[in-house]
Amino acid sequence: MEFSIRAANVEDCRDIARMIRVSRHVRTYLEQDGFSKNPFFHGIVAEVPEHVLFSGHTKIGYALYFYSYSSWTGRAIYMEDLYVMPEFRGKGIGKALMSKVAQLGLAAGCNQLNFTVLDWNKSSLDFYLSQGCFDVTEKMGYHCIRCEGEALEHLAQP
Amino acid sequence: MEFSIRAANVEDCRDIARMIRELAEYEKVADHVKVTQRDLEQDGFSKNPFFHGIVAEVPEQHRTKEGHTKIGYALYFYSYSSWTGRAIYMEDLYVMPEFRGKGIGKALMSKVAQLGLAAGCNQLNFTVLDWNKSSLDFYLSQGCFDVTEKMGYHCIRCEGEALEHLAQP
Repeated sequence: MEFSIRAANVEDCRDIARMIRVSRHVRTYLEQDGFSKNPFFHGIVAEVPEHVLFSGHTKIGYALYFYSYSSWTGRAIYMEDLYVMPEFRGKGIGKALMSKVAQLGLAAGCNQLNFTVLDWNKSSLDFYLSQGCFDVTEKMGYHCIRCEGEALEHLAQP
Repeated sequence: MEFSIRAANVEDCRDIARMIRELAEYEKVADHVKVTQRDLEQDGFSKNPFFHGIVAEVPEQHRTKEGHTKIGYALYFYSYSSWTGRAIYMEDLYVMPEFRGKGIGKALMSKVAQLGLAAGCNQLNFTVLDWNKSSLDFYLSQGCFDVTEKMGYHCIRCEGEALEHLAQP
């Protein structure tokens, strides 16, 4: 199937919000956080030609990423989301999106591509392992820790 | 003990590089450190920094026997959750052993939280090694929770030759 991958622009936020399945309200945040002066993230979008329209959508996959850092190995790229609409899976689009994120990372001098997967998501995990990734949590024992809401407000008090 | 927390500047990279190595030794992986002082200078203090730092300092009279007054640091960068928006990620938090138990680590972490909230972030994220029980207990006592335990998130990585290969169209 013919498809193309390109950098996301501000007009894509409507489709990205649709694919993330968030409200129109949150779309505003995507526009501000990804497409203003100091973006918190960047996006790439997978598109199919008009004649392949499905429910009127030609933007059928996306990935969000941002640059991160490891104090041991330096520059890194973090893939926050990777998604292809179900009806377009199995055609190499997810692989192409991930490949583009890897390419952008290497171009920026990054040594690592990092992301997270839910432990029950075996098909995704198998896909990633087949691409040469490894499970840092399993192998090295890293756990993701989070602070949010009231606990975060409280922590910020001097 | 009197101490101060301030934003790191490019001159702090020598001490930060030193403490990164000390932290790696504590985590038993000193040979994993490839980042140099020069990398920190370029990656943290030029036009589009990959990270930011804060440093904990003590007055001269409390300097270490090697003469160090910069005795703790944290590195952080801004990140994003497609569900909850802006977030801040704490890459490192370290206090030299002889200065622990005095609230310095808590003050560094608190400053990262404060900077995150100021920037409109909703989450502070970081990682901890599963055997590091004392650190994990400290974080849980600060109101953090273990996303890996609770929600099953695993950190996945691609690097080296596999990353080069993945980047091929």
